[in-house]
Amino acid sequence: MRQIAIYGKGGIGKSTISANLAAGFAERGLNTWYVGCDPKADGSMTLLGGRKIPTFLEQKKEGGKDEDYSVADGFKGVKCVEIGGPLAGVGCAGRGIIVAVHALYKEFFDDRIDIIIYDVPGDVVCGGFAAPLREGFANEVFIVTSGEYLSLYAANNICRGLNNLGVDLGGMVCNSREVDDEESSVSEFAERIGSKLVGFVPRDRVVRDCENLGRTVIEGAPDSEQAKRFRRLGERILENKKKNIPSPMAPEDIRELLRKRTGST
Amino acid sequence: MNRVLHPRPNPIIAAMYTLRDLDVDLIILHGPAGCGFMASRRLEEAGVKVMTTGMQENDLIFGAEENLIDVLRTVDRDFTPKTIGIIGTCASMIIGENLDSAVRKAGIRAMVLPVDVHGCSGANTNGAIRVLEVAASKGLIPVHECERQKAMLTKATAIEKDRGITSRTYLEPSNGATKLAVALKITKALREGQTIAVTLNAKKETAYGFADIFRAVEMAKRKLGGRTVCIANLDRTVGLPRIRRYSEDILRDLGGSGITDIQITGGLDEYPIAGEKAADMLDAVDAEVRIIAGLPHSLPRLRRDDVLVTDQPRELRNYLDKGFQNSVGEISTHADVMSTHSIIDSELGNTIREVVEKDYR
Repeated sequence: MRQIAIYGKGGIGKSTISANLAAGFAERGLNTWYVGCDPKADGSMTLLGGRKIPTFLEQKKEGGKDEDYSVADGFKGVKCVEIGGPLAGVGCAGRGIIVAVHALYKEFFDDRIDIIIYDVPGDVVCGGFAAPLREGFANEVFIVTSGEYLSLYAANNICRGLNNLGVDLGGMVCNSREVDDEESSVSEFAERIGSKLVGFVPRDRVVRDCENLGRTVIEGAPDSEQAKRFRRLGERILENKKKNIPSPMAPEDIRELLRKRTGST
Repeated sequence: MNRVLHPRPNPIIAAMYTLRDLDVDLIILHGPAGCGFMASRRLEEAGVKVMTTGMQENDLIFGAEENLIDVLRTVDRDFTPKTIGIIGTCASMIIGENLDSAVRKAGIRAMVLPVDVHGCSGANTNGAIRVLEVAASKGLIPVHECERQKAMLTKATAIEKDRGITSRTYLEPSNGATKLAVALKITKALREGQTIAVTLNAKKETAYGFADIFRAVEMAKRKLGGRTVCIANLDRTVGLPRIRRYSEDILRDLGGSGITDIQITGGLDEYPIAGEKAADMLDAVDAEVRIIAGLPHSLPRLRRDDVLVTDQPRELRNYLDKGFQNSVGEISTHADVMSTHSIIDSELGNTIREVVEKDYR
């Protein structure tokens, strides 16, 4: 059972990439689970035709038993779980993730599953947000970034977290923001932290069009160039053998790298 | 679901006691210095070293893994324990401390049992269950033993909820009345040649305190006449080695007092099911006076005139409220038994002795 976690700066496209990866894996016949960890609980929507599902923690709050949670069946049988969380400004979202991940592991996950994708919120800010990386859970991380400074800064910070936790990075995914020299900048960054770029996803309006219809690109535009790119990214992730604990850079070195690449003064 | 307002034991404390039952040498509470303080003191009296990582405000904010690693290395070096238990607390578990990771990084020679548990994880017995599961996963106890004990603990929780201290919204602690009336009832029955059935259905170490009643009643019978029947959950072949030792000690002491004819209902960790067997045996005896010591509410079909002896002030209040007017409390028992290896005198036992010696009627 492969368990991967997708991290990256807020708004960078983790959920889009996670959902399309899940759809691609399911299409190949893999028994695939998608676990959304964002309290907004919207990550799985494109796998479920735009439907928002009740969250694991909502049910728990109402006194439901862990084992009674109904896992949603998405595109091509992808099993979808949204962890959910407290209202903004209340309780502790981190604790929610810890509790839910433990419960999922105990009640739902078994050896028949081929791959679990954890779509994790923004950054590894505390013990709770790192919960999917604990022993027995996800053991391989992919970081989504663009060539923008703040994205790489967040990616670097996540590497700091992985370094602290002793968790392996499988590689970086560049979700293009169409900045200059983007692919090679991210590629160089990846090498500098001791990793590699596993895929480049160019910006394409088909993604938004499909999202508006409540579909992944794999489902909504299966023959599009973008769908092929997501499938290829999935293959490279599946084939990925090399993973290692990254060594984060000094933030000023990231600026330096970008300045040189883009020729800005 | 019944809302229970009075304070009650939590899973952290139950986990610590279970580690003690497993004979671990040292327990580290990963949390603030005061967490579990009163229980820790008692456990130290029982010979377990209890340490705290003494979490502070900054540890809550920044995490305390380094602190735990440091404490693990320090205790390993200074006390060379064979086994160490780490118990999570509310504080460490909320912030998501990774106990396994700290153990791995500490790289010490002692066997470590990290127990992911906190005060909000439900019934206190859940703490005990988590320890048993960790112990089974490390091969310290067999899986079947873990499963047997889990079944007992689940049953114990159900009994508490049904008729024990979690069956009521609020119970005010009570020390009950003095033991004189009960002692007079017992001695009067013996003088009249009646039968007294003494039943021990006690939880683990508390048996050292309650077993004294067998000795006192036996002594009274020799002086006054009558007949006695002894029923006890003192099976020396059941449970963890430490718990079997308790039964061994108590049976040895009872034998020393000439009490050898004892009907055995089960082991000292089987009080939730041994109570049912005890009730069957009591039904078969038809005694005029029945004394039940330890956790009497584990027995079905109690009679209103039964003498119920317990050590928990709230449990005592519960019995008195339910109309068991012959209920008495051995309130200091739990503290007194922690470091003993032999039966200790009880208040009811001493009252019976005094009544007999001074011929009170």
